Amino acid sequence: MIERLAVRGISKRYGRRQVLRGVDLSVHAGQVAAVVGENGAGKSTFLRICAGLQKPDSGEVIVRGRLGYCPQDAGTYDFLTADEHFMLVGAGREMSRRGARRAGRFAARELRWTAPERAQTRHLSGGTRQKLNLVLAGLGQPEVLLLDEPYTGFDQGAYHDFWRQVWRWRDAGCAIVVVTHLLTHLNAVDTVLDLTGQRVMPGAAA
Amino acid sequence: MRRIGTVADLAIRENLRRRGVLLLLLALPLASYLVRRDAHPGQSIRLLFLGLAWAVSTAALFATGSSRPVEPRLLVSGFRGYHLYLGRLLAMWGLGVAIAGPFFALVAVDHGDVVRLGPIAAAMLLVVAVAAPLGLLIGVLVPRDLEGTLLLLILVAVQMMADPAGSLAKVLPLWSSREIATYAVDHVDGGYLTRGVVHGVVTTVALTALVLCVAAVRLRRRPHLRFV
Repeated sequence: MIERLAVRGISKRYGRRQVLRGVDLSVHAGQVAAVVGENGAGKSTFLRICAGLQKPDSGEVIVRGRLGYCPQDAGTYDFLTADEHFMLVGAGREMSRRGARRAGRFAARELRWTAPERAQTRHLSGGTRQKLNLVLAGLGQPEVLLLDEPYTGFDQGAYHDFWRQVWRWRDAGCAIVVVTHLLTHLNAVDTVLDLTGQRVMPGAAA
Repeated sequence: MRRIGTVADLAIRENLRRRGVLLLLLALPLASYLVRRDAHPGQSIRLLFLGLAWAVSTAALFATGSSRPVEPRLLVSGFRGYHLYLGRLLAMWGLGVAIAGPFFALVAVDHGDVVRLGPIAAAMLLVVAVAAPLGLLIGVLVPRDLEGTLLLLILVAVQMMADPAGSLAKVLPLWSSREIATYAVDHVDGGYLTRGVVHGVVTTVALTALVLCVAAVRLRRRPHLRFV
């Protein structure tokens, strides 16, 4: 299997507080890695560094393929519709408007959500906005997906749908990193990166 | 170009849906114009230009703020900083021209017999051209909306109060509109028009270049991330 994401020796310090110390992680095609840790352990920082949005003090990240990123907060425009978000992110992925809309609506249905044509994002519930957030991350089928606790606001059913979507991506050959503090699905991942103990452990699915 | 066009298209749609904001964006130049309408036309027209600049730059400033949480996702999705800011700038220029249109008609109806309407139109276009990148620049430099708004307020207030013949006024971004207004209303020599147009064009180009440079630096891809 191709190593899609290679994280080598990432360290990050905020003032005097060392958040990440020489963190390594390797995720291959068709694998899911979970990043766990206490509040403030640096989970979101780690993901932002992997996405190239934040600079580490040392270390490197090597990506084979294209990246998709799902931020913790919804990362959407209040006054645009779901379709317009699909068109916007799709333009970045060099998709046609029609293709982006079709792909976005299809992915939304996988999460049991019918993206309304006219409703602006500000009128969507918190959980539905998170579904949009998740769909946008996977638009254009990137080879590496970075998901930062994308299930905030999900009810129990939506939470299970989220994991089913993760497994669909995994089965399609995507390498996925999920930041989580919920341990209920850790038996379904291949690797667990515990940032509190700064160690990598094999997951139950490995 | 398609990425820039999509950003511009969606930024315009987003702004047009904020109906309350649109009304206020029109109310600001209108209030500026009406407050001195009984005085010499030059006073109300100069204040109209400042009100228009204030409205467009504030819209651009807040457009930058509302986009900040979305930018990380867009950068990872394949956009570069200049796609986002150039697209937004085109949208703000479009919005500014749409706001300026009714005010040009108002001046034409109100003072069309005593002012030169061509230069009035040119001044309005230059006001919009300068104000949009000015708002974006403050938005990209100052990360919080309140600080950005206060900074813009200071700039416009200083522009309003500075002696137009003094050197301070000439380095402020909206000096061009005052010069052109003087030419259009007071029927002075063409030097005013030339100075105003040159100042406006140079300021627009400089502010646009600065916005794109700052955006490119702030939204640059970090070198620790390599795609192979």
